[in-house]
Amino acid sequence: MAFDPTDVALTIVKIALVLAITLSITPVMVWVERRGSALIQDRPGPNRVGPLGLLQSLADALKFILKEDFVPAQAHRWLYTLAPTFGLLPAVTTVAVIPFGRPFVIPELTLFGRTWFEGGRLFEPIIADVEIGILLIFALASLAVYGLAMAGWASNNKFSLFGAIRASAQMISYELALALAAIGVLMSAGSLRLTDVVWRQTGNFVLFGVEWLKIPAWNVFPMVIGFIVFIVAAFAETNRLPFDFAEAEAELVAGYHTEYSSMKFAMFFMAEYMAMGTISALTVTLFFGGWDIPWWSEPATFAGFLLSALAFLVKVSLLLFVFVWVRWTLPRLKYDYLMRIGWKVFLPMAFVNILIVAILIAMGWI
Amino acid sequence: MFEIVVFFFFAVVAVAFALMVVLHRNPVVGAISLVVSFFSLAVMYVLLDAPFMAALQVIIYAGAIMVLFLFVIMLLNLQHEPEPLNRPIQRFLGYFAGSAFGLTLVYYVVKAGVTVPRAEVPFLSDAHTIGVRMFEAYIFPFEMVSILLLAAIVGALMLTQREVVRRDERLADLEQEKPR
Repeated sequence: MAFDPTDVALTIVKIALVLAITLSITPVMVWVERRGSALIQDRPGPNRVGPLGLLQSLADALKFILKEDFVPAQAHRWLYTLAPTFGLLPAVTTVAVIPFGRPFVIPELTLFGRTWFEGGRLFEPIIADVEIGILLIFALASLAVYGLAMAGWASNNKFSLFGAIRASAQMISYELALALAAIGVLMSAGSLRLTDVVWRQTGNFVLFGVEWLKIPAWNVFPMVIGFIVFIVAAFAETNRLPFDFAEAEAELVAGYHTEYSSMKFAMFFMAEYMAMGTISALTVTLFFGGWDIPWWSEPATFAGFLLSALAFLVKVSLLLFVFVWVRWTLPRLKYDYLMRIGWKVFLPMAFVNILIVAILIAMGWI
Repeated sequence: MFEIVVFFFFAVVAVAFALMVVLHRNPVVGAISLVVSFFSLAVMYVLLDAPFMAALQVIIYAGAIMVLFLFVIMLLNLQHEPEPLNRPIQRFLGYFAGSAFGLTLVYYVVKAGVTVPRAEVPFLSDAHTIGVRMFEAYIFPFEMVSILLLAAIVGALMLTQREVVRRDERLADLEQEKPR
């Protein structure tokens, strides 16, 4: 592969952009979570630091940095220190294969006495458009469990260990349902590439042959069962209520991160919110048309890119709010119930979804 | 150039962590070292233009099988092995045989790599090619493996089922003992 400086520069710009947005998910979501929970529980919530308490996250971050970084005496020092990094890495890296806007042509540009982007250049708003796209996400996400397992074991605390064991069992079980629910989408796209998945969803379904009765060709409409399984499995994979058995503060103190403090704890905290962001972005890409704006075909210009990227962000934000909404609405399930519905309800539902999609494709309806 | 740097970095990581698996006394550290080693192997697949294989390597070995291993190790709560047994002869033989085997392997791989020309046929390993091969040329072995796995699942269910039945019976017994 030829080395192209412009290409490298564009990739670096994309990485910086995506990383900045991913990293800012945590402070924003902390604020949304705290204000959202207050809204749902009919109380004011944090409102002292900055207008509407907007700077609360900053205060929290400062607090984390200033706290003592404590390592328990009987802990396994190496694994204890490495665990937060293991937890954070998959959350940061998986966004690389998610397309975040409509590709557009950068026009030729003369600046500082040099011609840039000769003859126009296609800008693909995705860091790595690899052929295995979604498999890469599943591969990296399947490594996230090691962060939790290492943390729980290395802390040398029975509550941490219980949290870690529960988390591993839960994540293995629901990984299966998550991947199987996504298969319908991949079948209709005929590709593992997420850009193909999004392109497949641009345009409209015309209902009953009536020209003005059209809905966006998003996968959520024909594959509603798959979507339900996927979103429930997503809650389980990110250890959010009603499936937060890895923490379960009423039973396990704080689960796998009981012994963690200071920035190490903050890293677990960040990993949780970033994993939520990633899985929301993936759900939007798979089921809600990614950057597609309904009933409008985006032009291949910078404006089209900006609007589509905005649409993508709006969809992801709405889904993230659903995460908060569900957390403060539903109580925690029982652990055996979680395992039972995982294997006996959601797994068969995922298979039914594959069957339905196969029939729809065979009939030529999608 | 870039590929060579990546190759040697991950080759060293893979071998070093594979050695950790064998030499480290703590089973949890061993299991996690194996995960790192598997991950480095996946990078090798990417360098060989087989990203699909790389993804499967990470999903199946690092993501599924090793999680189960780690799970079992944590459940059994294996602590440090007791101090090394004093068996100098066996120890010497182990190290000697291991390193002799490794050196022989390196010698023949280098020899073959230098003399044997690379295959001219393009190496295809994308999802489509593998899927078609698996469901056309290798359909019989594929189906046999699924039957084997099914048998394993049924066996595992049978082993766990026994206790549940007994608990049901106990509940039935309790029902009968209830004073009326």
